Amino acid sequence: MSAIVWLHGDSLSPNDPALLANPEAPAIFVFDEPFLAAAQLSFKRLFFLYECALEAIAGRAGSIRRGVVVDEVRAFAAEHRALTAHVTASVAPRFQRYVTGLRAAGLQVVIHEPQPFVSWRGEPPRRFSAFWRRVAAEALRPTGPGPALPSEQEVES
Amino acid sequence: MQLRTDLTNRAEQAAYLAEALAGLYSGPPTPSPIRGGRRAALRRLRAFDARNYARARNDVAPRRNVSALSPYIRHGVLTLAEVRDSIISRFGLTPDTEKFVNELAWRAFWQLVYAHLGDQIYQDIEPAKRRARAPRRSLPPEVVSAQTGLVCIDESLQELYTTGYMHNHARMWVAAYAQHWLGVDWREGAELFYRHLLDGDPASNSLSWQWVGSTFSHKPYIFNRQNVERFSGDAFCSRCALASGGCPFDDSYENLAWRLFGVSLAELEGR
Ligand SMILES: Cc1cc2nc3c(=O)[nH]c(=O)nc-3n(C[C@H](O)[C@H](O)[C@H](O)COP(=O)(O)OP(=O)(O)OC[C@H]3O[C@@H](n4cnc5c(N)ncnc54)[C@H](O)[C@@H]3O)c2cc1C
Repeated sequence: MSAIVWLHGDSLSPNDPALLANPEAPAIFVFDEPFLAAAQLSFKRLFFLYECALEAIAGRAGSIRRGVVVDEVRAFAAEHRALTAHVTASVAPRFQRYVTGLRAAGLQVVIHEPQPFVSWRGEPPRRFSAFWRRVAAEALRPTGPGPALPSEQEVES
Repeated sequence: MQLRTDLTNRAEQAAYLAEALAGLYSGPPTPSPIRGGRRAALRRLRAFDARNYARARNDVAPRRNVSALSPYIRHGVLTLAEVRDSIISRFGLTPDTEKFVNELAWRAFWQLVYAHLGDQIYQDIEPAKRRARAPRRSLPPEVVSAQTGLVCIDESLQELYTTGYMHNHARMWVAAYAQHWLGVDWREGAELFYRHLLDGDPASNSLSWQWVGSTFSHKPYIFNRQNVERFSGDAFCSRCALASGGCPFDDSYENLAWRLFGVSLAELEGR
């Protein structure tokens, strides 16, 4: 059964785990109309998201839309005859509400975990200093060389 | 509504998006000079030199020694782990890279608090340790328009409005000025920042404002003119009309504690 990938503003990258797990799948990003109409952010922010979204969907059947997130993702899934939407987790309460909305609308939602920085889960201590004491050793241990970087000539000064 | 994805020229994209998203933003339809996307993020990561970070990260001017990666990290274009791995593998584990990873961990920490508290981050997390004496009022128009006459504040806000970025130390100055000198509720300041910051993040933004205000820390953060001069290479004060009289920051910390909160510095700091 085919699937789609739903991208949101907390994971708007061609390296998004849901995208990487579904290299052929169509992908959608939605400018959240009710939220943005109320928030009235600066255009700079929306344009930044647009540039990120364009690169994230490049090379696949991709769509960037304006509308109600749950409705647009559902419609996109239907257009591609998909019963499953893959997405990367976010801690934002709004994200959880949209997942609930999509499931209520009959879509199966598969949630991928973002790449961890430290393995801590659950309630953090009250102060950063206590948190840092407990995670420092792990946080300072690299897991690899990091992403391949462009050559020096390509770097803007 | 389906948006176009075929335009490749930035000016054309901006003109198109300004129309397509009409009603969903406020202010002029001008993009930031900071580009979105993974390619731009990797270029920035490649350009950042972490040597000197520990000593110079607080310098607002004339030279900056911070990564400016926050817009990419906030939107998941780069992960904290990728940035950590890249910096340590290229610069080794040094006091500079350790400090840098410690700053990355602040974001991880705020995200965990957000995961735990959800929308409660928009309320005072703890009672304020000290309340400013300034009478409560909403964000004055001269702050919104970056015309307070205080060059350090106005230029920081101007940079925010035109680029969507503000240096961390300048964010601390502006947040402290708004809350402790002007008596503005932190939510109003946080909302202004959130509308403009390319890295605008519910957790990092609200919780940092609360950290400055002391509803999520042991004491209010304050600064003085000496601090501004030390970390701006005199870029601001030398051009400020209020430098020769009337600068509200031109005082000792002891006097500021009395003036702003009516307590001694020792009391303010909980000593
Ligand atoms: C009032 C106020 C509001 C803020 N609002 C935001 C916000 O909305 N979004 C946001 O990402 N940061 C926010 N910060 C934190 C900090 O100012 C920015 O993360 C930092 O200035 C980004 O610049 P940089 O990438 O050059 O930082 P660098 O010094 O290069 O740090 C590297 C990365 O570490 C993270 N980081 C560093 N310091 C902090 C910090 N104190 N808290 C959280 N993450 C940190 C960021 O992801 C940053 O990109 C706020 C700070 C204050 C005082």
